Parts: sequence; structure tokens; C-alpha cells
Amino acid sequence: MKKDILALFLAVLLVIVIIGGANIQSVDEYYLTHIDDITPESDTVYISITCGDVLINYEDLDPSLKSGDIIPPDGVILEKTEYVLRSGDTVFDILNRAVRYNHIQMEYQGADKNSFNTIYIQGINYLYEFSCGPVSGWTYYVNGDLPDKGCSDYKLSDGDVIEFVYVCRIPETFRQGGS
Amino acid sequence: MNTGHEKAFAGHHPLTLFIYFSLIIIISMFTVHPAILMCSLTGGVSFYISVSGIRNFITELSFYIPLFLLITITNPLFSHNGVTPLFFLNGNAVTLEAILYGADIAIMLISVIFWCKCFNKVVSNDKIIYLFGGLIPKLSIVISMILRFIPLFKIQKERISQSQKAMGFYSSGSYIDRLKSMIRVFSSLITWSLESSIETANSMKARGYGLKGRSNFSMFRFSLEDVVTLSASVLFSVLVFYGNFSGRTLFTFYPEISGIATDLFSIITYVSFGLFCLLPTFTEIKENLKWKYYVSKI
Repeated sequence: MKKDILALFLAVLLVIVIIGGANIQSVDEYYLTHIDDITPESDTVYISITCGDVLINYEDLDPSLKSGDIIPPDGVILEKTEYVLRSGDTVFDILNRAVRYNHIQMEYQGADKNSFNTIYIQGINYLYEFSCGPVSGWTYYVNGDLPDKGCSDYKLSDGDVIEFVYVCRIPETFRQGGS
Repeated sequence: MNTGHEKAFAGHHPLTLFIYFSLIIIISMFTVHPAILMCSLTGGVSFYISVSGIRNFITELSFYIPLFLLITITNPLFSHNGVTPLFFLNGNAVTLEAILYGADIAIMLISVIFWCKCFNKVVSNDKIIYLFGGLIPKLSIVISMILRFIPLFKIQKERISQSQKAMGFYSSGSYIDRLKSMIRVFSSLITWSLESSIETANSMKARGYGLKGRSNFSMFRFSLEDVVTLSASVLFSVLVFYGNFSGRTLFTFYPEISGIATDLFSIITYVSFGLFCLLPTFTEIKENLKWKYYVSKI
């Protein structure tokens, strides 16, 4: 009988750990309704999210994404917008705040879950890696250049311009850099 | 339910049975369409009930309902795609689409399990040996041993645990003690099963199984009923495969649940597949009625 109580206690403990470790938010809590106000002295960066490449390679797109109005007709998911840069912010922090504020779906792989030790963006706006051909996926540019770091490692400075771009082909600069 | 196994649907030729079951299982495994999966589940469950009785089925529900819930809950933890987030867990969306997809996969899994159980009830060892014994003797004996393995395992487990109880081991109701006793039974079960499989292999060898020129005797006849069942199987499967590959009965969950197509072709596909799945149940019911009728005349 004592052993049973012990087993029950262990099971309860396990449940408490699982529930305590889980952070449950409602939809309204997750999507930010307010974001830092831009004041004259605050540092700012610009971010845009586009998927123009999909429109060029439309025949490769996953059939389930073709129906409905998931892919915007002009390829612009988020227009170039200015956001406040807090000190120490990485590209991922800005992206995360921007999609939460604009109610855009985003899924990422945590930095502890891959061998690069950086966050990997799997999908934005239901457009996932491999959704449009075998080498398609999300990549980003800062001030027009492809950084050689993951988006959670790249520290931003005042006035940087981030572009998140969905590509269906591997960008030329990657190929040159890899040789 | 009051006669032996060799009746009704099980009376078909082994080849018919094998093709029928493989087609249903393959279709169920490769489609995610809820209507087709529901047909498959209904057919599998009703056939299982007609073969092994409703009481058996109800006791097994206590395993399949938790299994269904477990799979349904697990999928949204790993898949965050979908347009209707319900809430956010550690910053990841738990979406309605992911939950429904989990439920769909659970239905698929359970229906395939039930069809396999029916297959085991209906296609006995001698039928498998008959089908493949000539072509691939070694593989067919292995398949028949594998299919027999779990039921035999269960029977033997019952025997061992009864004898353990008779000796007075672990009669207390404590969960830990029961677990210990189960481990003890399991270890002796493993030893027994290894030994018995070697014995089976030896005994088959002693009979000259698989040697050249060894003949087999069997009583299976390919009747008109087999022709009808076989052609119906092929026809309905072609219809389902065509609907799937042409995209007419295609169903997607991510990112948005596509509606179930309701044009004439799709409805014909669902209904015909439903009838196809219910075929064995109908045969069982028909033969049962016949049996009762003949008994009443005696």
C-alpha cells in the first residue's frame, strides 16, 4: 500500500512539473496590442517580410497554399516598418515583436534544438521551408547583405534595415561563400 | 457467432481475402481524407464485432479510447501550423488544425489496427502457407509464425501467471508488486517463446517443409463469389486511387482545413468505399440469418 502511495506521489509530481514548466498564453496575450513608441531619441530599425520569389515560382508551390488568400498577391507580408531597437536586440527579437504585433503566424526552431546554436525560422505566414520547391525557405538580409550568422546571433545597431525574404533558389552569395 | 471460423466471409478463397485486406489497409494508410477513414473505421469495427462479439469489443475500447486521445493531444505539441490558434504554449501556437489532424491520424491508426485484427481472425495460418508456401516457403513460415506470435504470447502469459499465482507468488494487490510479478512472468515468457520458435522450425524441417517436390494439400476453391468480391475490390480501389491522385477527393489540414468535396464523383467514391468496407459485415449477417433459418427448420 505504501508503495502505491509513493507511485501516485511520483505521478502527481510529474504532472506538476509538466504543467509548471509550460507557459500557457491566450491568443490575445500572445499577440501584442501595444509596442514601444518611437520617440526622437530612441534607436530604430526597419523590418520587412516578403515572399516575391513564390510568385515567380508559383507552379512549385504546395497545392494547399494555393487556395484561399494565404499568399498575398503582391508578395508583401509585412511592409517596411520602423520599430524601436532596445539595447542588445538581435534580428530575431525584432522579427518576433513585429509578427506578434501584426498578428502574423510564425514558427521557429529553438537555438537549443539544432547544431548551429541559433534560432531557425521554419515558417512565416503559413509559408514553411520546402513549401515551394526543395531548396525553399526563409532567409534574411541586413542593409542588403546576407549575414553569415543566425538571426538570433546578429546584434543590430541604429538604422539597420532587415529584410526577411522567402527564397525558392539558394542565393548567389551563399554559393560563392561556400566555395 | 455460434458456428466455427470457417464460414461466411472467411469462406472466401485465401487470395481474395489477402487482396481485399491489403487493399483496404493500403488505402487507409495512404489517405488522410476523414470521410474515407471513417468508412474504413466503421467497416473494420463492425466486422470485428461480427467476428468476435460485442463484449470483446467493449473491453478493448478501454485501450483504444485513451490511444485516440493520446495521439490527438500529442500532434499539436509538435506541429504548430494552422490558421486558428486556440492558445499559445511556451510561445508556440496550439491550433485547431493540428488537433483535428491528430484525431484524423488516430482514426487512421485505429482503423488499420482493427483491420489487422480482423485479418488475423479470418486468414488463418494454413491460408498464408497455402498462398506463399510454394513461392517463398521460408518467408511464409516466418509470416505465419509472426502473426500467430501475439495470440500465442497472450495465452502463454495467462498460463504462466496462473501458475505463479497457484504457487502463491505476488498475490498482494499493490501496483509495485504486480509490476514485479509481471516482469518475472515476462522474462520466463521470453525464454519460452525463443525455445518454442526453435522447436517449430525444427519440426517443420523434420517434415521436409520447403524441400523440392514436396506437395501440399488444400481444399480452397475459387468460386463465383470470389470473382464478385475480387472484382468489386479492384473496382472500388481504382475509384478511390483515381479520386486521390486526380485531386478530386484530396483533403488538406494545413494551413487551413479544406472542406470535404461534395460533388457527385466524390459522393460516389465515399459511398462505394463505405459499401466496400462493410462487405464482410454484410456477408457475416447474411450467413448468420441463413444459419438461424436452417436451424429453425430442423
